[in-house]
Amino acid sequence: MLSASLLIALGWILTAGIAGLSHAFSITLVLPATSVILLCHVAFDRERSLAAGMTMAIILGYLEDLHQGLPTGTLTLAFALVYLALSWLSLRLAVSGNIVRALTALIACLAVDLLTWGILLALADPLGISREGLRSGLRMIHWHALATMLAAPAVWGMIAGLDAFVRRRRRGTKSANPGTQLPFRH
Amino acid sequence: MATSSRTIRDVLVVVLLLGIPLLLLRSATQDPHRLSPFDRTVRRIGGPLEAGLGYAATTVGSFFERWLLQARLQEINAEVNGENRLLRLRLRELLRVEEENRELRRSLQMRDKVAEDMLAAEVTAFEQSPFFRVLKLVLDRGDRFVLPGMAVLADTGVVGRIDRVTDDRSDVMLITDPRSKVAVEVARTRAAGILEGAGEDHCIVVVASEIPVEVGDFIQTTGVDDLFPKSHPVGRVVAVENLVGDQQRLEVLPAVRFDRLNMAWVILASAPPPDSQAELRRAQPAARGLQPLR
Repeated sequence: MLSASLLIALGWILTAGIAGLSHAFSITLVLPATSVILLCHVAFDRERSLAAGMTMAIILGYLEDLHQGLPTGTLTLAFALVYLALSWLSLRLAVSGNIVRALTALIACLAVDLLTWGILLALADPLGISREGLRSGLRMIHWHALATMLAAPAVWGMIAGLDAFVRRRRRGTKSANPGTQLPFRH
Repeated sequence: MATSSRTIRDVLVVVLLLGIPLLLLRSATQDPHRLSPFDRTVRRIGGPLEAGLGYAATTVGSFFERWLLQARLQEINAEVNGENRLLRLRLRELLRVEEENRELRRSLQMRDKVAEDMLAAEVTAFEQSPFFRVLKLVLDRGDRFVLPGMAVLADTGVVGRIDRVTDDRSDVMLITDPRSKVAVEVARTRAAGILEGAGEDHCIVVVASEIPVEVGDFIQTTGVDDLFPKSHPVGRVVAVENLVGDQQRLEVLPAVRFDRLNMAWVILASAPPPDSQAELRRAQPAARGLQPLR
């Protein structure tokens, strides 16, 4: 299992990377929500407690808020709520294989986007956001979800690769210092 | 009991954790444009990361862009090369046409220079010596047009005479042929002589040495043989040899480059003698003011 800090760092790098790519290539529409894919991973690997998973969801959402320039708390709340839903689903469904992971990411992304849209619509007046702009933005959600679905296998593979790398490092550290382990414990 | 306490604890944690985004949202709604110090710190940390990744993406993007551009440039280069090849071919063709045009113009000017009745003929072939000297020319005019013995001229000078004639072509005996004889004179001294072919690309003429001839003097036709027009260039003196008996033997280089000749003119008939009564016959009409235009 990857540590929470590593996953958050990966999520941050991916978010910053996507932001950098979008800036470099002037792409604004078809950008994957890599944090949502990480959120799916956190929810479905079932190796963390609900509190730890939710904390990670809140941190990932908060970082997304800052990078996307949304009012702070919008994506944080959406990520937290979607994480709760995914955690509930993870007790009933198992997610394995690229296609299922991609579909899960698609649904999670749609859920996050719809929730975000709903929060922004509800707080449009105090936040000073145009409702017309929000309505037109809703029509673009499917592109975001589609890009997330396409990127999901790659991000999941990246997490698996990072996990394998960390495990190798840990095994290597343990075998390099055999003196630290007592012989009767084997 | 343990399960229910865990559930209660989870619910409490969830509620507490959900309070964080709600608090953040509340803070954002109060002043949407204000960032907390914590937000600013996170952004400050994330800024260089984003900028670095953006820079890397831009570098990679520009590399691929350059790569694509290079591939495109190669395609354009191939297109331009093909176009260039076609243009070169067209240019070569244009140069050929231009040269042909120039030659035709020169040939047309022959009409003004030479008063005799002439017929244009194209050089279709030539015979060369082992040393690549032209020995004989073949014209595209047969016995329907020309007769043996007729003079052949080019715009640059005398070529020779018609030697043999067949149905559709005629051979030209060049002035360098040992059988050839042309009445000529030195343009500067008017010293007359008979130009004889000396083989290859030289002719010989013997003239009186009363006025010494110099190397570089021009030789031209005298017109006394009623074959060649008067004062048409023949060649240039390249060597002078004094002979016994006040005579000079001149070596003459023909003015015409036979190997570059494409067109020649055959003199069909000598020019008629000048009409001394022509001016008298062409009487001016009386000017009466209302004369209709003619």
